[in-house]
Amino acid sequence: MNLLLKAPKGHELSEYLFSLPFNLYGKAKKVDGTLSVTRQNIIVYIDGEERDRYEFDDFEEYACEQLIGCSMMVGKIGDRSQKCLCAFTQDSFIAFAELCKIINHYLTTGVLVEESDIDEPKCPKCGLPLDSFTECPYCASKVKTFSKLFARLKPYKGAFAIAILCTVIAELLNVVSPMINQILIDDYVWPRNQSNWAGFAVLCLSMFVLIGINTLLDWANMKASFYVSLNLGQDLRQDVFSKTLDLSMSSISKKTAGDLINRVSNDANKLQSFLTDNGKNAVVRIFSLIIVAIIMFTMDWRLSLMAILPIPVVALIIKRAYNTIQMYYGRSWRFSNAHSKLLHDALDGIRVVKTCGTEELEIEKYTKASYNAAKASSKAEVVWYMIWPASDFLLTIGNYFVLYFGAMMILSKLPAFGSFTLGELSRFTSYVGMLYTPLRWLLQLPRQLADVSVSASKVFEILEENTDVRDTEDCVDLDIKGDIEFDNVYFGYKVYNPVLKDINIKLEQGKMYGIVGHSGAGKSTMINLILRLYDVTQGKITIDGVDIRKISQESLRSQVGVVLQETYLFEGTVLENITYAKPDATFEEVVQAAKIAHCHEFITKLPDGYNTRVGNKGHTLSGGERQRVAIARAILHNPKIIILDEATASLDTETERQIQEGLAELCRGRTTIAIAHRLSTLSNADSLIVLDKGRLVETGPHDKLMRHKGVYYELVMAQRKTTKMREANIDAKEDPKDGAPAMA
Amino acid sequence: MDKEEILMEEKFEIDRLEILDCSKLEFYKDSGNFISLKYNGEDYFNVRLTRLVPFFSKTTYISVAYDNKENEFVELGVIKDMKELSEEQYKMIDEYLEYKYYMPEITKIYSIKDNNRGFIFVDIDTTSGRKTICIRDWYSNFRMLTEHLLYAVDVDGNKYCCNDIDTLDKKSLAILEIFV
Repeated sequence: MNLLLKAPKGHELSEYLFSLPFNLYGKAKKVDGTLSVTRQNIIVYIDGEERDRYEFDDFEEYACEQLIGCSMMVGKIGDRSQKCLCAFTQDSFIAFAELCKIINHYLTTGVLVEESDIDEPKCPKCGLPLDSFTECPYCASKVKTFSKLFARLKPYKGAFAIAILCTVIAELLNVVSPMINQILIDDYVWPRNQSNWAGFAVLCLSMFVLIGINTLLDWANMKASFYVSLNLGQDLRQDVFSKTLDLSMSSISKKTAGDLINRVSNDANKLQSFLTDNGKNAVVRIFSLIIVAIIMFTMDWRLSLMAILPIPVVALIIKRAYNTIQMYYGRSWRFSNAHSKLLHDALDGIRVVKTCGTEELEIEKYTKASYNAAKASSKAEVVWYMIWPASDFLLTIGNYFVLYFGAMMILSKLPAFGSFTLGELSRFTSYVGMLYTPLRWLLQLPRQLADVSVSASKVFEILEENTDVRDTEDCVDLDIKGDIEFDNVYFGYKVYNPVLKDINIKLEQGKMYGIVGHSGAGKSTMINLILRLYDVTQGKITIDGVDIRKISQESLRSQVGVVLQETYLFEGTVLENITYAKPDATFEEVVQAAKIAHCHEFITKLPDGYNTRVGNKGHTLSGGERQRVAIARAILHNPKIIILDEATASLDTETERQIQEGLAELCRGRTTIAIAHRLSTLSNADSLIVLDKGRLVETGPHDKLMRHKGVYYELVMAQRKTTKMREANIDAKEDPKDGAPAMA
Repeated sequence: MDKEEILMEEKFEIDRLEILDCSKLEFYKDSGNFISLKYNGEDYFNVRLTRLVPFFSKTTYISVAYDNKENEFVELGVIKDMKELSEEQYKMIDEYLEYKYYMPEITKIYSIKDNNRGFIFVDIDTTSGRKTICIRDWYSNFRMLTEHLLYAVDVDGNKYCCNDIDTLDKKSLAILEIFV
């Protein structure tokens, strides 16, 4: 990212390492400001005049703080002192955040990085946000994208060629039909020729033959097209899905699940239908346009010009007209959508509506939404019926000239134009009609191409993405014992915002560790790093002395068992879910794991035992049952390292007690790392790791930390106080003084 | 007061909307230009001022809060109407809130172009000058919050509003009509 964007007035960019413009200062008033950084100083300029000058170490840390409508760069000293250096609208946030990261890096390491390594957040060409893309999908070279797309047809080139050939022959035969019509009109209809019935019969027969051949070609074309289309679609979806699962968590978390599903299904489907439908049509339509145009010009170049000349002007008008129609239909769709949402909302919440007595209000809201939807729809229809007939008339206006001048030629009233027979005119007008079909299609083509090229860019971006967490060539399959070490580890999900800072700790094999701290202290991040869902930004994590980046991901994750707060069960049976991490487990092993996890009993009571389907995300089981199935899954996995991330947080005390027994079995003799908000569940841990704002502040067993009266002690005290207050509230509700029942 | 009463008192302390007595509030700017507060003999560093109903009122129901040592959010109470503050205090708070909720007002719409891929480009005049803003997912980010209030959030997260679209000229309204 370029952080040398604008020099202050009267200065040169070369004077600075970084220089960023800002636009707010003082009382949220617009200013022309620049924050410039040299090797020694941070200088704030307003309208070219130096306003403030700071040394790097005037502050302990620099940060970008996002307010509601703008952001500011602040310098901080400890927790209680900070100063606003400058403020800016949100478009500059990423650049200033990156600058803060660079200065903070200098403060901790003494190294002043001169170039930012993060990607530009926006496309330099169109200005649209790049989001998770490396290249703007709207500005990427269309030729390159489409050539990659067409290259995917290679395995099916034979079938594709058949489909094209069939369509081309069918188009050629279509050109023959008007010729037969011409002969019929000129030789048999005008003048009436009753003496040559054999010739008439031959012509009729050839028409039937043409129709027959066309039907056969259509059949072959459809068969070949479907073959290509279905296989190509399957290939694309398969490749995108496999690649998606192969991506690192940092790549995946930049995209939403909806976005990924869209890419696997919708975008791939769009490409599939474009390639086999429009791809083939493009060849055929253009071919047909050329052939028809050549025949027309050979027949009469003057009439051909009359048919073609108005088209470019008319096409421009029609394009605008289409856009207007589309906008009105879009508006109608939005109003109709709002109306449906309101209906859905009111009926879903009918109990609330009834209990609050707001039926009249809801009816009023509905009436208004319904009226708006009807009005918008009516307006869209009016616009459509005003524009569409007129634009279609304009597009085919050349036909009217052809008819007028052609008729004049038949009547020999235009000697300069030569003569025409009725059959010739009929044939010519058929060709003009055939000319307009591909033209209508061509008018829509740029829009379709743009749409498909965006889908293609999205799909190829996934297919061509290099995953940032990958196995090195010299990675090893390690038989893990369970010693883990964090050595000077720094990490941030966003490069400018480190979540873990300078973590140094050794975790010994077979012991249980609890990670505690406030929300956002970095507890789950530590676990994500052990699982190598992300790579550390700085420092290293070793398992049994081996850097985890040198251990193959499959080997690492197959020896780490994880039980999360929100257990995810896949659609399938209880048995399939338990054996998910070890599909080759024997049934005896499964039952043994289920017994250890205290879930064998409830599974036995289920109607279909281990073959009971758990439903979508395991909805047929209770939260505690799902959790126990997950523990059985982890036990069967037989991991060397166990990770428990709030494994019992969402459960009631009784269920938690039962599950704790299962967990105790699971953790015996294995290195266990647990996170729990209920600190009491961690009091048995051999050692506690206390994190505060991403830094490791205390370690040691519960008793030692309580005596130390530091961060852990305060956390425990705060939790006890909250629990007491909660209990008091419950007591007060259950036993009100006046004896009247308490309100819920 | 027995234990139960104290606990009940505690409960209501938490549940009640605490309207602050403006005469007891003494806001001041610290060395870093952030707003701090002296209240009931206590000093609260870098207080958090929030408009509770930012779209409907800029100067009433202002929450005053701070982060305690455990970094927990603690609300001291709510200023019901900033008019109850002294002129100097009012000015200080208003300036800060205008900063925090920086939101240029749309005064004219020149054009709206839809790129048919979920983005619109809106060429507008605002109280901070003319600008073309790019809006993603515009069904959500360019919409009427009430019959009169237009609200827009651009791709960078900058916010814009028009408190009453009826004050816009006819041409702006005609352009707007198709999109909201």
